[in-house]
Amino acid sequence: MEQLTHHKKSFFSQYIFSTDHKVIGIQYFVTGMVMAAVGGFLAYVFRYNLAFPGAKIPFFGELSAQQYNEFITCHGMIMVLWVAMPILISALGNLIIPLQIGADDMAFPTLNMLSYWFFVVSCIVLLASFFVPGGASSGGWTLYPPLSANAYRNTNPDFWSALFSGNSMMILAVALEIVSMLMGGINFLVTSINMRAPGMTPFRVPILVWFLNIASLDFMFSVGPLIAGAVMLLLDNVIGTGFYDPARGGDPILFQHLFWFFGHPEVYVILLPSLGAMAEIISVFSRKPIFAYKTIVYMALISSVLAVMVWAHHQFVSGIDPRMATFFSVGTIIISIPFAGIFLSYMATLWGGSIRFSVPMIWALGFIGLFLIGGLTGLFLGSNSFDIYVHGTYFVIAHFHYTLFPIVFFGGFAAFYYWFPKFSGKTLNDTLGKIHFWLTFFSFNATFFVLFFNGLAGQHRRINDYAMFPSLMQEPYITFEKISTIGTIVLILSQFIFLYNFINSLIRGKKAENNPWNAATLEWQTQSPPPHGNFSVPPVVYNGPYDYSMPDRAEDFIPQNVQSEKK
Amino acid sequence: MDATISATIPQRKIISNGMIAMVFFIAAEAMFFAGLISAYIVNRSVADAMPVIQQPRLPIEITAINSLILILSFVTLFLFSKKYKTESKSFFLLYITIIFGAVFIGVQGIEWVNLLHFGFSTSSSIYGAFFYTIIGAHAVHVIAGLIILLYLSLSLKKDKSLESVKNKIAICSLYWYFVVSVWPILYVLVYLT
Repeated sequence: MEQLTHHKKSFFSQYIFSTDHKVIGIQYFVTGMVMAAVGGFLAYVFRYNLAFPGAKIPFFGELSAQQYNEFITCHGMIMVLWVAMPILISALGNLIIPLQIGADDMAFPTLNMLSYWFFVVSCIVLLASFFVPGGASSGGWTLYPPLSANAYRNTNPDFWSALFSGNSMMILAVALEIVSMLMGGINFLVTSINMRAPGMTPFRVPILVWFLNIASLDFMFSVGPLIAGAVMLLLDNVIGTGFYDPARGGDPILFQHLFWFFGHPEVYVILLPSLGAMAEIISVFSRKPIFAYKTIVYMALISSVLAVMVWAHHQFVSGIDPRMATFFSVGTIIISIPFAGIFLSYMATLWGGSIRFSVPMIWALGFIGLFLIGGLTGLFLGSNSFDIYVHGTYFVIAHFHYTLFPIVFFGGFAAFYYWFPKFSGKTLNDTLGKIHFWLTFFSFNATFFVLFFNGLAGQHRRINDYAMFPSLMQEPYITFEKISTIGTIVLILSQFIFLYNFINSLIRGKKAENNPWNAATLEWQTQSPPPHGNFSVPPVVYNGPYDYSMPDRAEDFIPQNVQSEKK
Repeated sequence: MDATISATIPQRKIISNGMIAMVFFIAAEAMFFAGLISAYIVNRSVADAMPVIQQPRLPIEITAINSLILILSFVTLFLFSKKYKTESKSFFLLYITIIFGAVFIGVQGIEWVNLLHFGFSTSSSIYGAFFYTIIGAHAVHVIAGLIILLYLSLSLKKDKSLESVKNKIAICSLYWYFVVSVWPILYVLVYLT
């Protein structure tokens, strides 16, 4: 076996062009964090501008209307495709899947490395688009034509300047990112199907691995139409076809369908890994087997099928047949049933458990509480009659951030605090982790809760300065904007606590035990950090992943690779 | 399961890693074509007249013959994968497949040059845009398929293990089968209706 030969490697092949899944996962995580800093800075700039229009912004200067449009567009794209995807799918998947199924590495290590470098190139293309003539893409993060097609921007560029315009570069960056995620997704699926340790039957696989695979399947099924739509948009931009130009027989709504056919399942692609990590954490810190394991898996499968059937609920105001709108409304509301099932299973796991409020656990509980608000406001928006009223307002912004922010950051931080000891071999500072949680929790709510009211009052999200619309900008909504901006600033500042804790623990942290949380899954049964090849002895699996509360044992759990005395 | 036994049994893979990867990849590719085709159908259903009256007609007959050549390459590759033996190393049918694929691409290229010459381009009408995008996307896949088959012919020469050879042939030919199977759908949709 290959992993047993520990030949010495140069710095480059060990840390830069590494094929080890753990190194690649950490690379994805760090790159995602860097992009999150970029996206967060953009958010800070335009939030500041909204509360104090025309003011000079600290660390930036004045924000023009064109820049405002660029910043909101790139903030959205960066946070969804360059932060959520790499951290929740690529980093989590790369780090966890081989360890939890007891494999030595991914099925295709070289493809895995290529996938990361495609991702790096896509980041560079995206960031470079800020510096091309005309600026970055500025038509909103959904890239709707005509705003995302150069022909409509009163310019008639030649081929090369069209190719190096903000819009085309955004499309190219998205394309590269999709290529990278496709490689990753195929790798996850093949690894989970073929490389499981002996005894790791499908229903002994931890829920996180199930969810990562269902998310990958959903991604691969839904991404094709987006590629088709993006190719057509790129051709519109660069060689002058008229796919989305009504004057030439095209149809801009077509892009909306192709985009949202991917865009809606994408929400579940991001949600499922995060929910999967919550299942691990909640079960471990409640010291109880997860409630209704199989039901959770089946619910996720059902939701992934429903996810590709509800996309047009994003288009209730773009001229949709009312009969179709009703169909999509009903579908949207039905999709909350499987997720309600999953959430109730998590609550039932907590019920009667011996709960330990460790740092990962409070992040996980924060995730559940906040996502509930996001999910419930989603029911309002799913109904087309209500959506027509609030479409494009801050109500949608607040709803969206109450779903995506808990998924990416609360879920992500829960997973970070949970698995950090495993991959670094060091222990994080608990007090700083708790301060980080409470500051993030309150400032997040301050940022977005008030925006529900601004949205219901009719404020629109794409207006950078309300000087022209004084009727939309009265008290208390002016104060609300300011509260939201102050919340954003505190939110960003409190991440420095996390950064300090992260770096300080890496350098000076206490050495972590192999299994600090007394967890049963396989990744905790090897060293911290796991050696190259993951397990010194290839594991054999005898138990389910959540065998806690075992009364007849010294510890209250049975690791998956330990045979119990009597079955 | 007994610990000593289960630890010594090597993992049995029912389907090889490469085959599963190729199946998922082809599924994603199929969705890509589904996106293009549905865009085309939706656009046609609301267009006034398509193909546009003033535009040149597409070469239906020569493309029909060309389609037959592509479908023949399916058959030759299938026969190759059934008959190939590691001892004899007869690549005749594989080379025939590659030549058929190359002829298909060549004839398509000549057609494109002619059409452009007659003033049928991506920006002359939305029909032209769809024609070049859909048929072009397929052509890119055929070229990718040819590269894969060339790689197969080179790597088979070195490979001596029967299992690995069978696996390689199965994976590479699956991609070619996909590329060929998409074509009749595109031909009927774009050229005939």
